[in-house]
Amino acid sequence: MITTDGLTKRYGPVLAVDCIDLDVRAGDIYGFLGANGSGKTTTVRMLLGLVLPTSGTIRLLDEPMPRAAHSVLPQVGALIEGPAAYGHLSGRSNLALLDAAGPGGPRRTRRARVDAALEQVGLARVSSRQVRAYSLGMRQRLGLAAALLRTPRLLILDEPTNGLDPQGIREIRDLLVGLHAQGTTVFLSSHLLAEVEQLCTRVGVLDRGRLVLQDELTVLQQPTGRTVVRTPDAERAHGLLDGRVEHRDGDRIVVRRTDAAALNSLLVGQGVRVHELGPERRTLEQVVLAATTESPEVAP
Amino acid sequence: MIVVELRKLLTRPRTWITIALIDALPTLVAVLLALTDVGPRPGTGPAFLSAVLADGTLFPLAALAMVLPLFLPVAVALTAGDAIAGEAQTGTLRYLLARPVGRTRLLVAKLVAVIAFVLLTVLVVAATGFVVGALLLGDAPLSSSVSGTSLTQQELAWRTVLALGYAVLAMLGVASIALFFSTITDSPPGAAMGALAFLIASTLLLTLDAANALQPYLPTRYWLAFVDLFRDPILWRDVGFGVLQQGVYVLLFLGAAWANFTTRDITS
Amino acid sequence: MTAARRWCLVLAGAAVLLVAPLAVRALPADDSEITATDLLERVQQSAAVPHTGYAESVGSLQLPVADEFSELAALLGERSRLRVWWRGVDDWRVDAIDPAGETDLFHNGLTTTSWDYQAERAVVTPEPTIRLPRSADLLPPQLARLALDDALPEEVSRLPAERIAGQDAPGLRLEPSMPQSTIDHVDVWADEDTGLPLQVEVWGVDSTLAAVSSTFLDVSLATPSAEVTQFVAPATAEVVVEDVFDVAAGADRFSEAVAPRRLAGLATRPGTPQDRPVGQYGRGLTTMVAVPLWDQAADPLREQLLDTPGARIGSAGVALTVGPLNLRLAPEFGREDRSWLVAGTVDAATVTHATRRLHGVDYTSRPVG
Repeated sequence: MITTDGLTKRYGPVLAVDCIDLDVRAGDIYGFLGANGSGKTTTVRMLLGLVLPTSGTIRLLDEPMPRAAHSVLPQVGALIEGPAAYGHLSGRSNLALLDAAGPGGPRRTRRARVDAALEQVGLARVSSRQVRAYSLGMRQRLGLAAALLRTPRLLILDEPTNGLDPQGIREIRDLLVGLHAQGTTVFLSSHLLAEVEQLCTRVGVLDRGRLVLQDELTVLQQPTGRTVVRTPDAERAHGLLDGRVEHRDGDRIVVRRTDAAALNSLLVGQGVRVHELGPERRTLEQVVLAATTESPEVAP
Repeated sequence: MIVVELRKLLTRPRTWITIALIDALPTLVAVLLALTDVGPRPGTGPAFLSAVLADGTLFPLAALAMVLPLFLPVAVALTAGDAIAGEAQTGTLRYLLARPVGRTRLLVAKLVAVIAFVLLTVLVVAATGFVVGALLLGDAPLSSSVSGTSLTQQELAWRTVLALGYAVLAMLGVASIALFFSTITDSPPGAAMGALAFLIASTLLLTLDAANALQPYLPTRYWLAFVDLFRDPILWRDVGFGVLQQGVYVLLFLGAAWANFTTRDITS
Repeated sequence: MTAARRWCLVLAGAAVLLVAPLAVRALPADDSEITATDLLERVQQSAAVPHTGYAESVGSLQLPVADEFSELAALLGERSRLRVWWRGVDDWRVDAIDPAGETDLFHNGLTTTSWDYQAERAVVTPEPTIRLPRSADLLPPQLARLALDDALPEEVSRLPAERIAGQDAPGLRLEPSMPQSTIDHVDVWADEDTGLPLQVEVWGVDSTLAAVSSTFLDVSLATPSAEVTQFVAPATAEVVVEDVFDVAAGADRFSEAVAPRRLAGLATRPGTPQDRPVGQYGRGLTTMVAVPLWDQAADPLREQLLDTPGARIGSAGVALTVGPLNLRLAPEFGREDRSWLVAGTVDAATVTHATRRLHGVDYTSRPVG
């Protein structure tokens, strides 16, 4: 759905995006992670043809961007760096104007499209109120509704849960999962690890303009082959497992290369009390931290 | 896109407030004239104002002569300066372009909307002028041209229509300049000030004999040439030059706006 | 297309649009073989050539005068925009237009009607034999004929042709041979076939700026329709019939003074009456007038002249030099209520000489007619 090849953006002397090769496949919920200022927004803007790349190519829905913007973008819904709307108009009028501005989308079904989008994001009841009276969360929902107007094949969302309360975040998450189930590919740019971890199937990590990691979430979170033991008798356990202990931290011991069941029976057999024992899995946070600190790039 | 822009223009409260403010000046002048019956001394007031005490049907033109040199261009500069920069400021520009709306199309639609705004303003001013002139000011049986010949109602009507059309065309230059500045900056007042600075410089240079060679190129040079439509025979020279000149301004500045806007990174 | 290429495209378009008119103007005009004397003759006989046109004249002489002379000061010191419909010497109309109105002259041989739009006033006067310059005199044909009518063949030479109002116009230079003249030269470009002057420049001695120049920007040799030169006053306008056209015409009509036939070595101008209160002397644009003024007209003028930087006060009144123009205002000896204004494009010495003569002139009274 999205492939970029050597995508680079330079603002004067500053290299904002440095030769990244994104690969988002149909059916993904792609989490695009990166700290603030790492080049996420610039990348998203390049994908949508707002910022023109210094070099490299972009293909969106298998067509070159920004050359094919006219045919591609109607199938893409986007939320870019927060929502925006005309404050003096109602939410509904805003959507109707935006719908009318773009190509395609017959006029007769506009009202139905707008209603459906408002319904999806839960704004139907306040749709005739002026946007200037909307709360931050309502505006965010309106922005999402705008992205959903044309039932896009691809959603490109930049920080979609900004400004929402936990309840709202959950609703949006459910909405995205629902859309995904119906076949929409989602490209979600975020700096919230938890959000990405909960939602995404694929992750790309951007660090100071470089894509340092891009893989399936399940691959990233594969067992490491080590076993974690938590025991109040850590001293004894350490003694028993001498040589195989990788790391000890209070009552937590990480053991190298063993079969969990055998280890359990060994410890229990020796009278070591075990709170918890299982294969080690890395959290996304650990993966990201590892990838970003390993990055050889040093800020100039 | 043009329809969308027109709808935006018409639904915006600011449009109507601006028009009302512009319209207020000639109306006030008409009321003052009617109350005091004191016209301007010959050679001092705006064109046609000395004549309206006797002939109220000329008041739409006097109203036009009043708003054309300052009020109208300021309003046009503000509206056109807001065109792109305003969308950038509210953040809606990125959504429009991602909808997608072609950048060239957006520029043209914006210019058309500005022209529609001028047209609307001029029509409102003229209509108010007509009503106020008929109600408050003189009712000469026959209007006369600037050259002293009599004009029938019909002649007066079509010349007035021509003058209104010319006034709209005269604003094209300012609109394009402001639109160009609007693509450079993300601040609407900044764009409007840029265009106004251009106009003020132009007005200043017009008074300077040393700048004689520049004068045919100055955008304000032919603004008041609509008065020439009321001479008899009509003096087409300056009106023609004015139209041509505004056309050149549109080509140049819309071209510059296009070159800048279509290759620019939208970071707002 | 890259940004640079787009900008290049726009800049190229801008260059074409800006340079095209200049380039068209810069195209050289076709010159002709016509001799200076032939062209002079044609110009001298062009008074009846009908034409319609739009001309602009620019005067660079800042006359510090107002009241009766303010129109004259405007003509000689400012830019005038003139429209003309010329059916013949006795049937023409000239509009001096300004941004908010116009002042028109309609002439039909016997009377001249002046219409002022902003004052809503039409003034009908008999055509005077003597008067101050008026807007119509600044049109290239009138100004050129004023300069060339009495010109001698040896005073003129050819200038290269120029394109004026879209026509190729051969040029003619007049260098006055009169020693008193403060006019260095007068350049005239005229339509070759009809001799109708299309552009005139009057240059004073030692000046870097033409004293007065006048150019047709549009001209057609078609005869304008008779309706155009007829004035019918609008119903709301005030129409006044006056006896005199301006202060000079008034002096000529009512003053008891008689100007001498010959003054300061200058003879009466050819074709002007003699033994009248107002005397006109010289030839072509080297000209001098002597006008007797009553105190009502002379006193404010004297005040203004005295207040002007550069005014010289001497035994024979107050004098001023503005470009090639010298003028002097002096009371007449023994006549407390009358002053003489002597002005012209002659040197200061000649004007002073003339004023001295008038100051103590032994005029002969004539009955008021």
